[in-house]
Amino acid sequence: MIRLDRDNVPLLFLIGALIPTTIFLVIQAVNDPALFLETLIKALGLGAVYALIALGFVLIFKATQTVNFAQGALAAAGALFVSFLVADEHIPFTTVPNPLINIGPEWLGWGLSVLVALIFAALLGLIIERITIRPMVGEPLFSVAVITLGLEIVLRVFNNDTVKTEFRALEIPWGNGGTTVGGAFINYSVIAALITAVVAFVGVFFFYRSKTGIAMRAVAFDQEAAMAQGINVGRVFAIAWAAGAVLAAIGGIFATQPPVKQTGAVEPETANIAFRALPAVILGGLDSATGALLGGLIVGLAEIFAGQYAAGESDWLGAGYPVIVPYIVMIIGLLVRPYGLFGTPEIRRV
Amino acid sequence: MRKLTGLLALLLAFSLVAAACGSSDGDDGASTDDGASSDDSASSDDDAMAEDEGDDAVAEGDILTGLGVDAENKVIRVGLNADLSGTFAALTTVIVEGQQVFWEKVNAEGGINGWTVEPVVLDNAYDVPTHLENYDVMSGDGAESVVMLTNSTGSPHTAAISEALVDDDLLAIPLSWYSGWTDPTIGQNVFEVQANYCIEAMNGVTYMSEQHGNKVAIAGFPGDYGEDGSLGAKVAAEALGLEIVYDGQAQVIPGADQTPIITGIVESGADFVWLTTGPGQTAEIIGGAAAGGYEGQWAGNSPAWNPALLGTDLGPVLDASYTHSTYTTLWGIGDSPGMKDLIDTMRELRPDAIADDVYIISWIEGLIAQQVLEQAISNGDITRAGVLAAANEIEVDLMGLAPNQSWGGEPNDSIVRGTYLYDIDASVFTPDGTVTDDDANRGYTLLEADYVSPTAAEWDYEPCFKAE
Amino acid sequence: MFGRPNLYTSYEQESQIFSTWTQKVLAAFGILLLFLLPFDIPAITTKIPGTGWLADIPVLGRVFSWSIGDGIPLVRFLGDADWLRPMTTVFMLAIAALGLNILSGVAGQVSLGHAFFMGVGACTGVFLGGESSEALYGLGLPIWIWLPGAGIAAVLIGIIVSPVAVKLRGLYLAIVTLGLVFVGIHLGNTSWGRKIAGPPALGRKYPELDIRLWKEEDPLINVSDDGRWLWFDVTDAQKRYLLYLVLAIAFAFVAKNIIRSRTGRALQAIRDRDIAAEVMGVPEFKYKLIAFAISSFFAGVAGALFAALSGQILAEAFGLFLSVEFIAILLIGGAGTTSGTLIGTFFVVMIPQFVEEITKWLDKSEGPIGGTVGELILTDGSGDLGVINTSTVTPGWTLSVFDWNIVLFGVLIIVFLIVEPLGLFGIWVKVRNYWKRWPFSY
Repeated sequence: MIRLDRDNVPLLFLIGALIPTTIFLVIQAVNDPALFLETLIKALGLGAVYALIALGFVLIFKATQTVNFAQGALAAAGALFVSFLVADEHIPFTTVPNPLINIGPEWLGWGLSVLVALIFAALLGLIIERITIRPMVGEPLFSVAVITLGLEIVLRVFNNDTVKTEFRALEIPWGNGGTTVGGAFINYSVIAALITAVVAFVGVFFFYRSKTGIAMRAVAFDQEAAMAQGINVGRVFAIAWAAGAVLAAIGGIFATQPPVKQTGAVEPETANIAFRALPAVILGGLDSATGALLGGLIVGLAEIFAGQYAAGESDWLGAGYPVIVPYIVMIIGLLVRPYGLFGTPEIRRV
Repeated sequence: MRKLTGLLALLLAFSLVAAACGSSDGDDGASTDDGASSDDSASSDDDAMAEDEGDDAVAEGDILTGLGVDAENKVIRVGLNADLSGTFAALTTVIVEGQQVFWEKVNAEGGINGWTVEPVVLDNAYDVPTHLENYDVMSGDGAESVVMLTNSTGSPHTAAISEALVDDDLLAIPLSWYSGWTDPTIGQNVFEVQANYCIEAMNGVTYMSEQHGNKVAIAGFPGDYGEDGSLGAKVAAEALGLEIVYDGQAQVIPGADQTPIITGIVESGADFVWLTTGPGQTAEIIGGAAAGGYEGQWAGNSPAWNPALLGTDLGPVLDASYTHSTYTTLWGIGDSPGMKDLIDTMRELRPDAIADDVYIISWIEGLIAQQVLEQAISNGDITRAGVLAAANEIEVDLMGLAPNQSWGGEPNDSIVRGTYLYDIDASVFTPDGTVTDDDANRGYTLLEADYVSPTAAEWDYEPCFKAE
Repeated sequence: MFGRPNLYTSYEQESQIFSTWTQKVLAAFGILLLFLLPFDIPAITTKIPGTGWLADIPVLGRVFSWSIGDGIPLVRFLGDADWLRPMTTVFMLAIAALGLNILSGVAGQVSLGHAFFMGVGACTGVFLGGESSEALYGLGLPIWIWLPGAGIAAVLIGIIVSPVAVKLRGLYLAIVTLGLVFVGIHLGNTSWGRKIAGPPALGRKYPELDIRLWKEEDPLINVSDDGRWLWFDVTDAQKRYLLYLVLAIAFAFVAKNIIRSRTGRALQAIRDRDIAAEVMGVPEFKYKLIAFAISSFFAGVAGALFAALSGQILAEAFGLFLSVEFIAILLIGGAGTTSGTLIGTFFVVMIPQFVEEITKWLDKSEGPIGGTVGELILTDGSGDLGVINTSTVTPGWTLSVFDWNIVLFGVLIIVFLIVEPLGLFGIWVKVRNYWKRWPFSY
């Protein structure tokens, strides 16, 4: 039984707001099922991309207790690596041709090249971790977060210098194609993003039950105590950053595809996907993989459904209002649960 | 401690009162050339250009010179306050490079009547405060002072300096085609080149309606660019009796999800859509609408298009359905003397450069500055005021790159109304064609050159979009 | 007593603004210098032979170049055109940074939303002070209403936000305040937002800084045109510089005094351990609210000054980068200290100017030092050695000096955090202690 006290007021408001919204959506669904289905699939696709980026945030947070603000630049860099390998057909930063692209059928060569790109992304993560994060072991957590802000600034300059005005294509084999189900057009990329997000989530889930995963959780709990127990904190940091960068790169690849972008190409704007996904992480809870998945989906649903069904109100909501929907959802969520839906509340001692 | 604070407060109070008493004579009139009232005669720098460039114009031979001119070495400086690291850096760096090539060529050929032109390039980072900082330097009396600004990137940035331009007798060529610049109350010394966004939209919508039907959808950014274009489209639609089936004026926001606009366009069943957006949003909207089953035609203002889009997944859709509008001829198209000059010079001085259409903008800015300075020299007055007067006297011959341009007289008589329309054609697209490549083309075939629609021809000038 | 005491014998002594006479004298001298900087000052009356090379030194050469030229010798550091506006920007940003210092440095509540509060201030300023028209709201009130009004409006918004903010901790707070920045920029796109801040991407003219009693024609103090103040001719840019300087000094005193007061001590207690503070009788909610209110007031006023300096308000200007700039200012200067904040602001604003100047000098100079170094780090993009591209087109991986400036900004944040978490202030303390303990320094 929910009691009406100070802490529960936001929750009651939330429930009060959700009921009419649901009724409204049900009416819309009955009116035009095809449009509703199309919107739903699109929303899930966007949610999956958010969830992928959010998982990267969570991985790094779980090991280092810090938000990696450079996730967006890492995502763009990962997508750029793919573009180098498959569109320019050479190894990034060199003129050495990429031998993998010609292996087997088109999708195989492309898939192998993407794997190489992910390895590059992991290396980038490792290098960044070694140079800028490792010296900060034991330092205040906010300082580390600000370091990643600095990294974001630096990486963005290099990314933008590479992209210039070009749209650097990723040449995904299925392009922006799709199929029609029940009158609703569904992009193949949306399906791919959903599958990847679920696979990544399962992967992270089992990883946390492995020996390294447990070590990571120990480090997150108390770096010094973990060190005293014989855990190699540096190695844990390195693994977290490499994995986080790979997840960012995967998210970055999907961030160039529908439903996020129609071009299938890297733009300077690609890096902004992380700032769009941040509310998902916060809503789900910074240290919860489940939270990242659910947070991503909730935020994606809210953004696309608001964009589709509130378009008539855009005069007073302001043009482009979908862009702030994630943040509004996040603030409402935090009012109800200050540590996110699945986040662990910090235990405060005197 | 309290004593010190008290003392300070007293001091502050005194200085304010004293200032109040002394500040009665802040009249506008004196500020014309008095900007650097604190002894310009003392500003001689110790380096190469140790030349007194005081307020009072110096007569060099028969020619009157002032700030921005090094009379001893016969050097005239022109300023480019351009975005080299901000949002449009990728575009403007190429424009700036092109203009530097232009001056290299002019100087190598002996300059303008023996005067060398030195471009001063400063980066505004697409940031208004930085633009103002740079402007302070260019309008000042130092080694980087200039006689005119041949490039002032960005609308809010140019708007921020427009009053100071009048105070300083400087003229600026904006890298922005806002219809307001021609209005003396908005941009008296902002010398807009070519047709504005509004006229461009009138021409484009007229052309598209002749080809594809009379149901039009409109979508664009908020602000000077987006709403200028959208309003121009509306002017044409009203004059031609077209039906506006979707009105997305000011609805497209960069970085936001474009679902509301896409849905609106798809549901409207328009024959064609007029976009006043950026290339990223163009791709977003066209791709989204195509996925939603929309099969109409597309066209938009010049900045809405980027040929690199042809290399993306959307290439086939764009090839089939997009018509590009712009203000000038494009690289390698036509055999005007200006185009020949541009290509020859680029091949000689920058043989490795990618053949980029924005070099035409560089060339036009350069040609304008060159002919204005020629006129000023022949008038015997290359002070800032002299250059300004010269610019108002002449008609600039753009050598076939774009319609010729003049600024004097009534806005209605001087504005350019002709624009160029191109079909997007992937079969002629050479993504990495260099300037030495004879087939270099960024995917255009010419549909109409210097096209003036009846609506645009009869239109009485007034700013389409006004901030106030 | 000239040196800094090794032992403070009373709390009063320790919490003085300037603990020694040396400091007082230096501060007074520094303030005087700041007041004189924008003007030409006769210094050396004859040209010193053989000192021409002094003028070629980047940055420092600015002082010398005027004293050894041919004309009337002058010390003219800022000139009319060059560095006057950046220095004015320093004062304006310093006000905002001092506010954030109280919230983040002293009270430990990290906010990435400072730009948002500046934006609120700037919009209120233009609403109160701007002229109304068909498409725009405006009341046309004088500066003594719109400038404090800008601060007060920011405080009100801060108080509305604070119930959420007070509940959150650490990075959750940072990200929610980051959300405010995005929401703020979006509000500029709403139909009513653009009636206040002007249309997006074009902006709106900002009210001038002239000081009027009411809406009379002739201002009491004219700040927007060239004219005479006391016995001196001052340009509009110099007037603005002086006005901003006075405001910055006033706000610095207020900030310093807040930190020294009961409120400041309460905020520090909350920063160090909030629960412990509460146990000791410092109400957490109340003091966090106060910290938010103070910081918002500073930000609001600075936001109005920011827009007034450009003469134009543009909603997009109050974005994430501005917020990050303030975090950088605090970290580079030294979080929690007033003097550190001031130094940090100067450093962050002026570093790009220094870098550009040095690059230009390297590009031009042919001497043994400049020439060789120039060879090594500059390139024209044609494949020679060097990382700074002096040509405006940047092929390959070399960046232009403008791009390097942004990179440098990011790198400075990283390096300071790793190497010297206390910032420039920390470096200063170390240097001071080194000399004080000499010859027994460690």
